[in-house]
Amino acid sequence: MAVSSTSKPQGHIGSLLVSGFFVLAGIVTLYDTIGYSDRDSQVFPQTVAVILIITASISFVVQFLKPSGEEGFGSGIWWRRCLLIVTMFLTCFAMPLVGFLPAGAIAFAGGLIAAMHDKWTASNLLLYWGSGAVIMVAFFSLFKFVLYVPLP
Amino acid sequence: MLRRSILKAGAAVAMTATFAMPTYAEVNGPVNYVIPFGPGGESDISARLQQPFFKDKFGEDLVISYQPGGGGAVGWASLNGLAADGQTIMGVNLPHIIIKPAQKDVGFATDELNTFYMFHFTPDAIVVPADSPYQSLADLIEDAKANPGQVTMSGSGKASANHLAQIKFDKMAGTLTTYVPFKGTGASVTALLGNQVKAQWGYTTVGAAQGEAVRMLAVAMEERHPLFPDVPTFKELGFDMVGGAYRGIALPNSASAETTKLWSDMIAEINTDPEFQQKMLDGGFAMLDVGAGEMADFMAARSEEYLNDAREAGLIK
Amino acid sequence: MEFGHFLSAMSPFNLLLALCGVVAGTVIGSIPGLTATMALAILVPITFSMEPASALIMLGAIYTGAIYGGAYAAILLNTPGTPSAIATTFDGYPMAKRGDGDLAVALACFASVCGGMIGAIALLFLAPPLSKVALAFGPIEYFWLSVFGLSLIASLSDGNLAKGLAGGAFGMILSTVGVAEISADIRLTFGNQVLIGGFGVVGALIGLYCIPVLIDLVAVPDRHLKVEDDVKSVRIGEAFGIAMKSKFNLIRSSIIGTLVGILPGAGGSVAGLVAYSEAKRSAKPHQKFGEGEPDGIMATESANNATVGGGFIPTLVLGIPGTPPDAIVLGALLIQGVRTGPSMFSQSGSIVYTFIYGLIIATVLMLPAGLLIGRYAYKSIVTIPKAVLVPAVGFMTIIGTFAIRNSVSDVVIMLCLGVFGWVVARFGFKASPIVLGLILGPIAEQGFVQGWTIGAATNNLFGMFFGRPISQGILAFTLITLLLPVFLARRQRLAAMEDE
Repeated sequence: MAVSSTSKPQGHIGSLLVSGFFVLAGIVTLYDTIGYSDRDSQVFPQTVAVILIITASISFVVQFLKPSGEEGFGSGIWWRRCLLIVTMFLTCFAMPLVGFLPAGAIAFAGGLIAAMHDKWTASNLLLYWGSGAVIMVAFFSLFKFVLYVPLP
Repeated sequence: MLRRSILKAGAAVAMTATFAMPTYAEVNGPVNYVIPFGPGGESDISARLQQPFFKDKFGEDLVISYQPGGGGAVGWASLNGLAADGQTIMGVNLPHIIIKPAQKDVGFATDELNTFYMFHFTPDAIVVPADSPYQSLADLIEDAKANPGQVTMSGSGKASANHLAQIKFDKMAGTLTTYVPFKGTGASVTALLGNQVKAQWGYTTVGAAQGEAVRMLAVAMEERHPLFPDVPTFKELGFDMVGGAYRGIALPNSASAETTKLWSDMIAEINTDPEFQQKMLDGGFAMLDVGAGEMADFMAARSEEYLNDAREAGLIK
Repeated sequence: MEFGHFLSAMSPFNLLLALCGVVAGTVIGSIPGLTATMALAILVPITFSMEPASALIMLGAIYTGAIYGGAYAAILLNTPGTPSAIATTFDGYPMAKRGDGDLAVALACFASVCGGMIGAIALLFLAPPLSKVALAFGPIEYFWLSVFGLSLIASLSDGNLAKGLAGGAFGMILSTVGVAEISADIRLTFGNQVLIGGFGVVGALIGLYCIPVLIDLVAVPDRHLKVEDDVKSVRIGEAFGIAMKSKFNLIRSSIIGTLVGILPGAGGSVAGLVAYSEAKRSAKPHQKFGEGEPDGIMATESANNATVGGGFIPTLVLGIPGTPPDAIVLGALLIQGVRTGPSMFSQSGSIVYTFIYGLIIATVLMLPAGLLIGRYAYKSIVTIPKAVLVPAVGFMTIIGTFAIRNSVSDVVIMLCLGVFGWVVARFGFKASPIVLGLILGPIAEQGFVQGWTIGAATNNLFGMFFGRPISQGILAFTLITLLLPVFLARRQRLAAMEDE
């Protein structure tokens, strides 16, 4: 993936933020362990949380002193990424309401549009949506009727 | 959520059917039997033993699926959201469904589960390897008294039937043993056979599965298990311990009384089959018949006992 | 062990079952979210009306096929189809990206067959003595084994050790979320019911590996995998040549796989990681592990298929299932009235030996079937236009994750992990250390807590952790793996300085 000229400072700040997040996650874990009733449940998370805090802090300090060129988010097209993820989440929330197949179609449509970099033509329009429907129905039937997964 | 029409109607209808189908007093098509644990445990084995008898007697497949997570809590928390048409049932386990909700909010409460039948239990038992110096329960008690804390005993999980039994027994015998929790009976047996621990709090099923490799010192039953006529009960040895892990089956609580009754009768019928009984006994299980009618009393009695034990052991407040 | 058992395994019906089983297993394994456990659980009722040996052969064939099938998605989509194929992604996906996907798939097939054979042969000849390995491994050995697995993080985090370790620690913390497995607490759920079941490994794998690939795929118009202009239809010969050159690696990895397979509670994922770590440690200078090194794929794939035979050793000899699929096979045996355990080989010998021969036959059949399906899988992934591939894979991740526990919230968790994994990977925190932590965390925790409890009870904590021979051995290997690269690098630097 091409690295744009702006990605270096972005990668730098991002690394700092992620390291900071991990330190925070370690602290939250330590805080959570206070409430456990069983000593056996505490030992491991506490130890690991301490390791996490130390290593993430080192990573933070190193990053701060020596900004290195992590690639950052790169130069991809944002609306496509977002469309893909948002439609997949939408599918989850729609699933209990409208059933699995219609909900799955949301994610499929989102993914298709997001990944479509060529020009739409009548033929590929038909082909892609048609094969999409076939794939979905095939998977749905495989899971529901062969593997007895209770899909909504 | 997860409302499901009858499978017979086919896929096309399944998508559009958002209304509840009236419940019929019979099963239509394959029944989804959810085990809220992974495969290989006592819950799985006993469900597998029921499977062929169900098909024989009622002509439908019993499809077993595993939904592990949270020591069963994930499955039980989801149970009441499932279709209540009698096509989905789920295994339930005591003491799990009593202890877990009493500890913390785990997404379900004991009396929210529509348990319609308890069909067997696995009696607690103290198991030692065949080459162990403990020939009898008295040997173990003697060693535990001479070396407090040094007798290590493996068991499946904490706040479990094994753990409660260990705490209870220590109290009765005036001993101090160390309980080492493992993930499931399989791992706990492995530790025993490998001499990582000195004894195990297990079930009679361990004795059945391991045969010559292990020796049971005592079983927590009213009378001796038919498979092990030589193993004394705790009662014979002067300890008032009868119990173990009880297993049953539940429906979503929106199931009609009719459906619940139907299922209770079906499981009862399997339980009376001599061939099924023989297979269960060969596996080391002990039969139990608590139908939908007597369930409330049974659960109340068990709850009181388990909660008392757990409270005294400091496992719940 | 007579020849008669071999002949009965070779009956046309059993051969057909083995072939169907391998094909079905391969397809199931290649779909992330569908596991061998699930397929076996559904198929057990079909076996009621079969001869016990035939039933076992079919179940064994599905199992071994599924472990191999996991490699496809690992190589072509960077998503392990089964947890066993985690380490296959390390080199498989880079190979596929540079246009060697077909080669990688063929290599995986050869390695899987090799591993499967060695595992099955160990099961045939050495089952009773090898079953002692399962018993010799106590809690502490599991603890050190997981530490050894975690030491792989050091070499996976290319140059940025702090970030790799932080990722691994974070993965271990994720593994503690939910109801604790061997203690009596509910951890890190913050009162949220959805998190009680914790982060399932299969769902986490789909999220952390597959979703980032999809996010990257849609963002740019480039093709998914590089394809050479003259698509060579098969590269079996080339693959066979490479595999022959690495026979030592194949055999070593298969033995590792067999041994780790014997350990109940470790499984194919750990076997693959350990074998990968060993292959990397003994790499020649020109081999670049992590950048598409064929030996990496072969080590993982031979080791994880060797766990099939290895896992059946404690299952059949001790009645203790090595892996969840083994547990289902054990259940099927019980229904058939076959009693496993120490007396099984003498009492039900004919069933056992027919089954083992059946497993060997299934493994052999995996060669043609696997190469054929692999070629088809590669071609379809390469030729399907991106605009269909992405939504199809996306749909698959959703349905696959749902199917693990029939739960929509698992899908939401998977997606959240996926987006999180994508973001942190962009800033140098790669997915693999997190996954390693997630998988090895519970093994480490349980081993530690149990070992500590036993050690404290017997007033011998130090001896418990450091005094046992197997523990010392694993610890020594861990130290060698960690320190050898440092030592070699220093010597090289010194040599370079002397040259000046």
